[in-house]
Amino acid sequence: MSKRKIPFYIISLIVVVSLAVSIKNVAESWQLQRELARAQSVAGEAAQQAGPQITPENSHTVEYRKFPFVGSRVAVWVIAELHLMFAAFVLAVPMFALIIELIGYYTKDKRYDHLAYEFTKLLSTSFSFTASLGALLTFMLIIYYPKLTTYLIAIFSPTFLPYVLLFFAEAGFLYAYYYGWGKFSPKVHIALGVALNLVGTTIMFIANAWLTFMNTPAGINESGGLLSVWGAITNFTWMPINIHRLIANVAFGGSIAAAYGAYKFLGARSEEEKAHYDWMGYVGNFIAIAALLPLPFAGYWLGKEIYAYSQSLGIVLMGGTFSWLFIIQAVLIGNLFLAANYYLWVSMERIEGAQRFRKFIKYLLASITVCFIVWATPHSLVATVEEARRMGGSHHPMLGVLGVMSAKNTAVNILILTTYISFLLYRRGNREATVSWAKLGNTVQFLIFAVVVSFVVFLGVYGYFVEAKVRIGLSVPQVLSVLFAMISVTVIDIFMFKNAKSIGPIRWGKIPARAQYALFFLAVTFTWLMGLMGYVRAGLRQHWHVYGVMQDTSPDAFTPTLGFASGVVSVTVLIFFTFIAIVFWLSGLSGKKDWEAGTGKTAPSKGGLDLAEEGQS
Amino acid sequence: MKNALAIFGFTVIVTLFYWYVGQQVPQKETYPPKTLEIRPDLNTAEMVEIGKEIVSGKGTCLSCHTMGQSGSLRFPDLGNIGAVAGTHKPGVSDVEYLAESIYDPNAFIVEGFLPGMPVIHKPPISLNDDEILCVIAYLQSLGGTPTVTMQTSHKFSGAAPPSQGAPAAAAAAGAAVSENLDGPGIFAKYGCMACHSVDSPAKMVGPSLYDVGKRLSKAEMYESILDPDAKITAGYPAGVMAATLKGGGFYEKVSSKDLNILVDYLVSLKGNK
Amino acid sequence: MNYLVLAPIVLVMIALRFTRLNILGWLAVWWIAAYLAISYGIEPPLPSSIIGMFMGIVTLALLAYLTVRTDDMNFVKRAAIRFLTDKKYTLPLALTVIALPLLAAFNVYLDAAKAPQPPAAGRTVHPPPPTEITFKGKKIDLVNGVNPYRELQAEDPEAFRAHLANGRKVYFQNCVFCHGDNMEGKGLFAHAFDPLPANFQDPTTIAMLQETYLFWRIAKGAPGLPEESTPWASAMPAWEHFLSEEEIWDVILFMYEYTGHKPREKEEVH
Repeated sequence: MSKRKIPFYIISLIVVVSLAVSIKNVAESWQLQRELARAQSVAGEAAQQAGPQITPENSHTVEYRKFPFVGSRVAVWVIAELHLMFAAFVLAVPMFALIIELIGYYTKDKRYDHLAYEFTKLLSTSFSFTASLGALLTFMLIIYYPKLTTYLIAIFSPTFLPYVLLFFAEAGFLYAYYYGWGKFSPKVHIALGVALNLVGTTIMFIANAWLTFMNTPAGINESGGLLSVWGAITNFTWMPINIHRLIANVAFGGSIAAAYGAYKFLGARSEEEKAHYDWMGYVGNFIAIAALLPLPFAGYWLGKEIYAYSQSLGIVLMGGTFSWLFIIQAVLIGNLFLAANYYLWVSMERIEGAQRFRKFIKYLLASITVCFIVWATPHSLVATVEEARRMGGSHHPMLGVLGVMSAKNTAVNILILTTYISFLLYRRGNREATVSWAKLGNTVQFLIFAVVVSFVVFLGVYGYFVEAKVRIGLSVPQVLSVLFAMISVTVIDIFMFKNAKSIGPIRWGKIPARAQYALFFLAVTFTWLMGLMGYVRAGLRQHWHVYGVMQDTSPDAFTPTLGFASGVVSVTVLIFFTFIAIVFWLSGLSGKKDWEAGTGKTAPSKGGLDLAEEGQS
Repeated sequence: MKNALAIFGFTVIVTLFYWYVGQQVPQKETYPPKTLEIRPDLNTAEMVEIGKEIVSGKGTCLSCHTMGQSGSLRFPDLGNIGAVAGTHKPGVSDVEYLAESIYDPNAFIVEGFLPGMPVIHKPPISLNDDEILCVIAYLQSLGGTPTVTMQTSHKFSGAAPPSQGAPAAAAAAGAAVSENLDGPGIFAKYGCMACHSVDSPAKMVGPSLYDVGKRLSKAEMYESILDPDAKITAGYPAGVMAATLKGGGFYEKVSSKDLNILVDYLVSLKGNK
Repeated sequence: MNYLVLAPIVLVMIALRFTRLNILGWLAVWWIAAYLAISYGIEPPLPSSIIGMFMGIVTLALLAYLTVRTDDMNFVKRAAIRFLTDKKYTLPLALTVIALPLLAAFNVYLDAAKAPQPPAAGRTVHPPPPTEITFKGKKIDLVNGVNPYRELQAEDPEAFRAHLANGRKVYFQNCVFCHGDNMEGKGLFAHAFDPLPANFQDPTTIAMLQETYLFWRIAKGAPGLPEESTPWASAMPAWEHFLSEEEIWDVILFMYEYTGHKPREKEEVH
């Protein structure tokens, strides 16, 4: 690398110029935000005027109170989302910590056990954050939305005490699992982990009942009176949300854990530490991506149930203003796939022999780019009158077909397969099959891919020629064929590489820093995506607190612009990462040496060293 | 520390990128549908707001009454009604006075004016009791302080059909139109007789239709129903009929068949009854 | 597809394979090729908002490719630093530094010099329907309602054909002028409208909707569109003033019969 310095004035010039280029755009958006905020505060103040004096007799008649500056809705929105993010993390980490512990238990490989422990270390601080945020959210609901809260309490009164009691159990199991690491027999400890997961999942299921009831109320009569608590709990979207959140939590938790690995890797001084945290980031990312793959299908199920509950609600979700939210979602998910593959490609550099596969990167990248474009193509386009006229309507004759579900399903299936192929190449990086039928095996694998890809594309195209009901059904064979490809190819691969010749070692720790930044990118993208999807789930109700039952009559009853929602989600994400930084910092403290008088500073970390010795394979 | 800052900066940049993506899609706010829902727990200030909308909208009051005008007026000005309502009839409170002038407008006529105001709680305007309470609240607020609440009762309470809690607009549009009526039936159904007499040359809010079959051609009749302001009979103010028909939802409700029967009926009115 | 544009692009790309372009050159070639293909290679042309989005994705992908290999990264880093520091690049560097703000200024000028245009509108093509509507005083349930004559198709084909024939009459007396005799939205009057009348042959219109949705759109027309579908100057009349309930159901039967589409069925309740 050149030692010559770039003149400072040139750098500053470039910075200034690029700022100037983008400033107009940003200023326009900013202007919009400010006008919105002003309109909101005016509306809020109008509602605040002319309230009667509160006395013990009439205190229950208060429906809303106003949160200063940002308004009640935004305040509750941000706190609820933060609570949800921390809860997702706290529920997800025990799940894969337990799985990793189990792997360690069965393979007798100590380093898995250490890794599981390291993940668990992040939990105790996060658990307190989750609980505090949950309490804050509850109080805010009582203070700012008393009428709604009273109604929900009336419907769900038998579920609140079990919820709180389960929290005690969760705390008990969690601390026993964490502090009892290595103190119990492995079987008892694993049993603790299982109990922890069961309790955590139950807690989430109870909370999901409350919020899905607001979207798709059930178990009540026409005027909103309670008929059956069980009916209210098992409403249309309860199970789909349970499953969707369970999987999404694992993906999210994995990405945050990978970000932790990346953070420790970048700060690591010794080779051992680097190797260990490189590996940790890799495992976290693997968990995140593995959980991401089934997520779209859980999402379809959820969407289908919403349609089944009410066509209006379904069309609000997919056809109305919210359809643009799914374009933003497509950008996020496209980025997720791109970054996940990117990480695998970059990390092939640490595998000797993986250079052989470099030439495939451009084809994989092309496939991802095309699928990304298909997925992000909106159904109704933003066009000026002039452009619309040339297209002959608001649907472009070619792009129109890319905008509907058939095309998107096909794109996401191909994206999943591409990611799987990247992983397959990564796995083979330093190995060469020695079995006699290796050539045949490769051919069969290739044929499976070719057949499945053409089948998926065929079904996607065929979907345009059949009625809606059949078309929705087509997504099932698409998914099944992709699953079949992944499982059969994996099975062949396992046998083919059983006694494979190793070309070179995996040099853990020899990974470029930008791969670690890809992990941060994944974590931020996952978090932002979660915020966005949380918004659409809640925003779907439009001006209802409980859809069709209790109307929102507060000044915040309107549905804000997607730009405004993006702003709130962005702020939430930044607050979340600030908190997460605190969690990382706190869990790093335990590894530091005790402070000693006189030296005034702590010795460099030793915590990672003993764990990392086995970090290389 | 340098690392932590770099990571934080990176996080901010990625977040900003997604924020930017969020700004690129169409920006649209959706407001809840506007309803004039009158709930029993409205406070007086909210009643005034709703009353104001009824006065200028569904109630069609402002087609005849003015706000803060003086000089030679056809109907009393409402600009200061809140201050003077209690002074017109000794011993009658402003609420009772306002209620009477809405439910039974011709019982007391302000000096210098002629009777002619239609009854407000019957078709075509058909305000219900709750809506009228809101109107009273608004009228009180004009020059005075509103005192009524949703629980206030007066001499006429219960005279109008009760509020069903349904949005007022929906209730107006929901009226059924399928019965087979003859000319006088349609004339009555749309409340034409509130302003027009057909059996004598007496002048009411609008000109008498006693001999309209002799005065107007069929085409002119269609015109004066569908576009009342196109030609105004001398001595009558413009805009009253148009606003009343619009406010009462006449144009949404009437079918072309009904309109034909109505005009045929008017043609038959030659003044020789 | 505009092959006159696409073919030269492909030919030039193939020709360039025989030159020794470095990674930066290749990425630039790909970027330009993608831009030309997306902007001019597709007929009719894409709206600029879509071109912007596609190029954004292509740019991200090319950047990923540039940084995926450490050797490529280092090559680009070195090239950039050489350009910024080497004496022999002083003149090009100075020109670049001057050109950047000029480009920005030119962009601002182009924006300002544009003739006023109506804003680009992202229109909600299928706005969410209300749960029920009032049709001539009768409540029509849009969620659980069905076309009352649809069942005749199986039960009484004779009567069903009569309804279809009536629907055909209704269509050709009322709808054909805008929606066209092929139901492609290309009727005689269609070209005067913005938005253009809906194309029922398109598998993304009526084939994706339930019959009650069509009933709502026909009965209430443009005046009944919800607020979030604005800006909307649709010329669709509210046919409830002109057609009877039976006529509307009949014309819906006919629209599906004529286009060969099937209405979306109500999802089963679980």
